[in-house]
Amino acid sequence: MTLLWLAALALLVGAALSLGLKDNEHRGWAAIGSQAVATALVLIEVVPVLLGGGDLRSSVAWSFPIDRIAVHLDPLGAFFLAWSLPLTLVGTVYALGYLRPWFRTRNAGVQFALLNVTSLSFILIYTVESAFVFLLGWEIAAVAAWLLVVWDYRNQKIRFAGFNYLVSTHIGLFFLLAAFMVMYSQVGSMDFQAFGPFLRTPGPLRNVTFLLLVTSFGLKSAFFPFHTWLPRAHSAAPAHVSALMSGVIHKAGLFGLLRVTLLLGAPEAWMGWYVLGFSALSVLLGVLYTTAQRDLKRLLGYSSTENVGIAGMGFGVGYLGLAWHQPALVALGFTGGILHLLNHAFFKCLLFYAAGAVYRATHTVDLERLGGLARRMPWTATSFLVGGIAISALPPLNGFVSELLIYAGLLDQGAPAGIERGLLVLGAALLAFAGGVSALAMTRAFGVTFLGAPRDPAVHCDGEVPRSMRLPMALLALGVLALGLLPWLGLAVVEQPAALFLAGLEGARPATQLGAAALLGPVAGVGALLLLVLAALAAVRWWLQRGAAAPRRVTWGCGYTAPTPRMQYTGTAFSSQFTGIFPTVLRHLRRERLPEGPFPPPGDHINTHCVDAVEQRMFEVMGEGDGLVTRLARQIPVEPRFSLAAGLVVLLVVIGMVLTAAGGGR
Amino acid sequence: MSALLGLAHLAALLLLPFPVVGLVNRTKARWAGRKGPRLLQSLSDLRRLLRKRPVYSRVTTVLFVAGPLVLLASTLVAGLVAPLLGAFAPLAFRYDFVVFAYLWGLGRLALMLAALDTGSSFEGMGASREATFSALVEPALFLALGTLAAATGQASFSSLLHVGFGSVAQAVVSAGVLVTLVILLQVEAARVPVDDPTTHLELTMIHEVMILDHAGPDLAAVQYAAAVKLTVCAALIAGMLNPLGPADGPGLVAAVNLALTLAVAVGVGLVESLVARLKLQVIPQYVLVGAASAFVALLTTAWWQGGGR
Repeated sequence: MTLLWLAALALLVGAALSLGLKDNEHRGWAAIGSQAVATALVLIEVVPVLLGGGDLRSSVAWSFPIDRIAVHLDPLGAFFLAWSLPLTLVGTVYALGYLRPWFRTRNAGVQFALLNVTSLSFILIYTVESAFVFLLGWEIAAVAAWLLVVWDYRNQKIRFAGFNYLVSTHIGLFFLLAAFMVMYSQVGSMDFQAFGPFLRTPGPLRNVTFLLLVTSFGLKSAFFPFHTWLPRAHSAAPAHVSALMSGVIHKAGLFGLLRVTLLLGAPEAWMGWYVLGFSALSVLLGVLYTTAQRDLKRLLGYSSTENVGIAGMGFGVGYLGLAWHQPALVALGFTGGILHLLNHAFFKCLLFYAAGAVYRATHTVDLERLGGLARRMPWTATSFLVGGIAISALPPLNGFVSELLIYAGLLDQGAPAGIERGLLVLGAALLAFAGGVSALAMTRAFGVTFLGAPRDPAVHCDGEVPRSMRLPMALLALGVLALGLLPWLGLAVVEQPAALFLAGLEGARPATQLGAAALLGPVAGVGALLLLVLAALAAVRWWLQRGAAAPRRVTWGCGYTAPTPRMQYTGTAFSSQFTGIFPTVLRHLRRERLPEGPFPPPGDHINTHCVDAVEQRMFEVMGEGDGLVTRLARQIPVEPRFSLAAGLVVLLVVIGMVLTAAGGGR
Repeated sequence: MSALLGLAHLAALLLLPFPVVGLVNRTKARWAGRKGPRLLQSLSDLRRLLRKRPVYSRVTTVLFVAGPLVLLASTLVAGLVAPLLGAFAPLAFRYDFVVFAYLWGLGRLALMLAALDTGSSFEGMGASREATFSALVEPALFLALGTLAAATGQASFSSLLHVGFGSVAQAVVSAGVLVTLVILLQVEAARVPVDDPTTHLELTMIHEVMILDHAGPDLAAVQYAAAVKLTVCAALIAGMLNPLGPADGPGLVAAVNLALTLAVAVGVGLVESLVARLKLQVIPQYVLVGAASAFVALLTTAWWQGGGR
């Protein structure tokens, strides 16, 4: 436990140094150094707990109103700490390279100090057992993230995105506060362990608390429909901040959900269906939005909603397993879900770093203006490709490993035969759809950005990014490969946390014996075989073409001899057929002035972009909600179907009131 | 015995695609009143392509060469998971069908990236169509396989397909899944009415338009992979239709399955002779028919197992 305190101290000293030192370069190195020390200390403390060495507990007396800070490091918190701090360190290294162009004009110390503070908030959130201190850590993380987002605060759009995030995250905080207040009023303590007995007793108040908590954690992790702040914040923030928010900071919401799950004991089946359904909705809509975005970072933001949904589907399966007393479902669901969190952290950070490198080199992330970057930036292109394959859950990379476990949970025969099993199979089909759509979105993002020829002559590429930005990408890409080709690595890390959920079930064995390890062995075999076959084919290919090099000519234009780079397929064109199938969700805004007459005046343009339907409706209702109601009410006497519907509603209400009155009179 | 079957599977995976493609083409030729090419013409085509020297576009990167290789490698490895010979696959483990579907996904992604690598608007169009239709066919495949898993209580591809036509419920499940598999074959192997491998009008094609720039060994890899996919799909349909169960001995099951696979190839040829290609706009709806029939099979399974019996 002492090492954790020392780590916190190191982070604070590092933050102070980042603020106090004179030179931006030194400030950056102070943050990196202090975080490296803190990470090493935390890992020394955390790894034994994670590998089954037993929990650590301690307690510190504090003044009113907190009384006592209980600190409890269990495998779940240890798991989150074990990757959150190292990934933040990697992000800080990236930040040093990413922010360097501003070093002459801006004070980057604040950014570095805030990154340290973010690491500090992880230590608080993942270890404390007192609701007060937990909320403090929660709030520190939220405000630090907001300040990190508004780095370029002179831009009004970015200020708006930051403010939007700040408001959303505090709405989530209110839900969390409400839940804590309900629990405090019932048990008279702010200690998590004291909440346990209340949360384990079935009753309406338990259900309400559960819904409040899920809503709050859903907002934090950007589940649909609480995701509206996310694409804005991710496209506005510097790349390292987007990466850390999406991959690391917002996993705190899912940590909260898991922590509450441990306190819930045996949840009811409806809670499982609720988590599963909520997550499935996030997967579906998150992935649909990734297909239509023009902004590379916005696209990656929506894919966060999809991926937390995938992890959430795993948790939903685990909930159902707890409700039905099926250890196999619990093991597969929670192991898969927790492993997906880790995998997502790796490939999402990787993708955001690659997108940030594109921004550094070309000063834009607009897909329609990019193209042909693979030959100018081979490192970045390789990183993005590895991340894109992993996020589409394709073998042999790590995304596939965790999704396979979730598939296994969804298709397991432990679910009651009949409609329940049918619904879970539908969930598997939805996951497959998300995989296919994600492959479309990533092909589009990678293909339009990195392949072909540059689309816009005005965009100038500065070439490959500096080493301090390539190193984090290379590290994460290696992590993605290792977790995919050696799935036991990931499994060893998530085994103990997943075992916590099995503890409540009678006669349950450790997660590895329930099929997770047996499932992943063949997957590693298939991955190795795939690489072997590929190497063999490449050798044959090389042997066939030995000797003279192949000649290089222009791309075959099907007989057309004057093609220009502007004639390449654009990102919008690539996805237009797919988005056309979902017009209600993927609304496109068009701003256009088309040429007219034989001698059109200059200034013609057409501009399309995909708007978020939820956000648009939300603003519509907030801006002119009363107007909408009036317009609808005015339609009732005019449109026969509306009047019929209104009449039916009135009839139902009257019948309901009569029945209630009759019931009350009896 | 299983080593022998494994060798037979490998041989079927590598060699069966040639007669299957030959049979499809021969059937079409006969129906049109022509004599048609030799049964193993595609093997000669492949050898001719392997000897040719490719020409590359100046904008392409290493991905253009890697794409066809990844496609072929993933298709072959996926072929080891699929039960080509009835109830047997050399690589069989729990939820191997998920691995199968995602390996095909990897191959598709590689081919789409190779197409985009040329910067050609035609090939971008083809990649876009391929991505759209495969995203729609993926859930249909998983609905079908998930239904089979729920209906049979098995988790491995090679033991999934034996639902049979014993009772009404089983017959409905089998029929629903069969419809999905036929549509899967037409989408994945780029056959009529979804796509036409023989058309040469760039604007109407899906699969062929993605490989306009490929030549020589690269084109050979793509065409061979497409033939392997066609064979695997045909073998899956044959496995559903196969009346023999594991009790009849693996050798007999394998022989019947091979014969049925060739029969399915003839069926594909007949469909191509009799049916025109669909308009591009209605293909998503056609693919949805596959998902809907798998959904019917799923509902039937749920009703059947949930006490409807």
